[in-house]
Amino acid sequence: MNCLKTHKLISPYIDGELKVRDKEAFESHIKSCRACDIAVEEARFQHNLFARAEEFKAPYGFSARVMANIASEKAKGFSWTPLITRFAEVIVLIVMIFTGIISGSFLSDRLVNEKNTLIMSSFYLDIFDPTPPDSLGGVYLAMTEVRDEK
Amino acid sequence: MHTNDDIDLINSFKSGDKTVFKDIILRYQDRIYNLCMHMLGHTHDAEDIAQDTFIKAYQKLGEFQPDAALYTWLYRIAVNTCIDYKRRPFFESIFRRSDTGEEMVIERPSASPSPEKDYESKQIRGAIQKALRKLSPKLRAVIVLKEIEGLSYEDIAVTLDVSIGTVKSRISRARDELKMLLKDFTEQK
Repeated sequence: MNCLKTHKLISPYIDGELKVRDKEAFESHIKSCRACDIAVEEARFQHNLFARAEEFKAPYGFSARVMANIASEKAKGFSWTPLITRFAEVIVLIVMIFTGIISGSFLSDRLVNEKNTLIMSSFYLDIFDPTPPDSLGGVYLAMTEVRDEK
Repeated sequence: MHTNDDIDLINSFKSGDKTVFKDIILRYQDRIYNLCMHMLGHTHDAEDIAQDTFIKAYQKLGEFQPDAALYTWLYRIAVNTCIDYKRRPFFESIFRRSDTGEEMVIERPSASPSPEKDYESKQIRGAIQKALRKLSPKLRAVIVLKEIEGLSYEDIAVTLDVSIGTVKSRISRARDELKMLLKDFTEQK
C-alpha cells in the first residue's frame, strides 16, 4: 500500500470501517511510514475531540409542544399562509429587480449624456486659454495692451 | 434495524392508536434535537426543526415501510429539514436571528472536575460548533451523523440516501476541512 492510498483510507480506518485485509495492509504501511503514522494520529486526535462535543437534550415540555402542534395542524387543515408568504416574496423580488433595472437605465442614460458632454467639451479649443487673466502672463498681456493703446 | 418496541409502537400507530406517537417522541427527541443543534447551531431553530421533523414523521408514519430503522428514517427527515431550512423565506429567518448572527446556546452547568478543564471543554465545544457551521450542509450532515451520532457508514448512507462510497468521500473531505478549522486544537497536542 502506498501513501496516497493510505491517506484515502485514514477515515474508514479510524471509524473501524475497513475490511480485515485492507486494515492489515494499512497497519503494516503506517508501521513503516512515519509521515502516514503522524497523519493517522492527527486524524484520531481530531476524531476524539468530537467525543467532547456538547450533547444537547430536548428542552423541557418538547413532546407536549409537538403533540399540541400536531393537534393544531390537524384542526387547521390546509393553510394558505406559506403559499401567500412565498407569493409575497416573489412579488417583492420582482418589484425590486424592475426598480433596479428602471432606475439603473435612467442613471446610466444621464451618466452617458454627462460623460459625452464632458468628453466633447474637452475637444473645444476655446476653452484653452494659455494666459488666464489672473496669471502672470495675463497681467503682462493686459499691461502691454494698455501701453499699446496709449 | 428496529427494536421490538419500535415495531410495536409503529403497529399500534398504524392500527389507529395515535397517542403512541408521544412515546416515539420521548424515545427519540434528544437524539433528533442534538442532531438539529449540531446542524443549525441555534437553540430556537433546532427546536423548530426538531418539532417539524416529528410533525412530518406523524404525517408519514402510516406509510412507513420497515426496510430501515425508525431512527435512520427520523434522522433522514431531520437532516433534510435542516438542509431545507436554509432555504426558508428570508423574511422569516432575518427576524429570527440575533444581531450578531451568533446564537445564544444555553450554557449548561459543567460536570468537569476543575475550572481549567471546564474552560478547555467550553473552548473545544465552541470551536466544534463554529467549525461545523463553516462546513457545507452536506459535509456537516455526514460528520454530525458520524462523529456526534455515531452512525455506521451504512446507516449514514441509508439516512442520506447516498452510496457508501459517497459517504466515505464526504467524511474524508469533511475531516480534511475540519483539520484546518480545528488546527488550533490539533496543534496543541
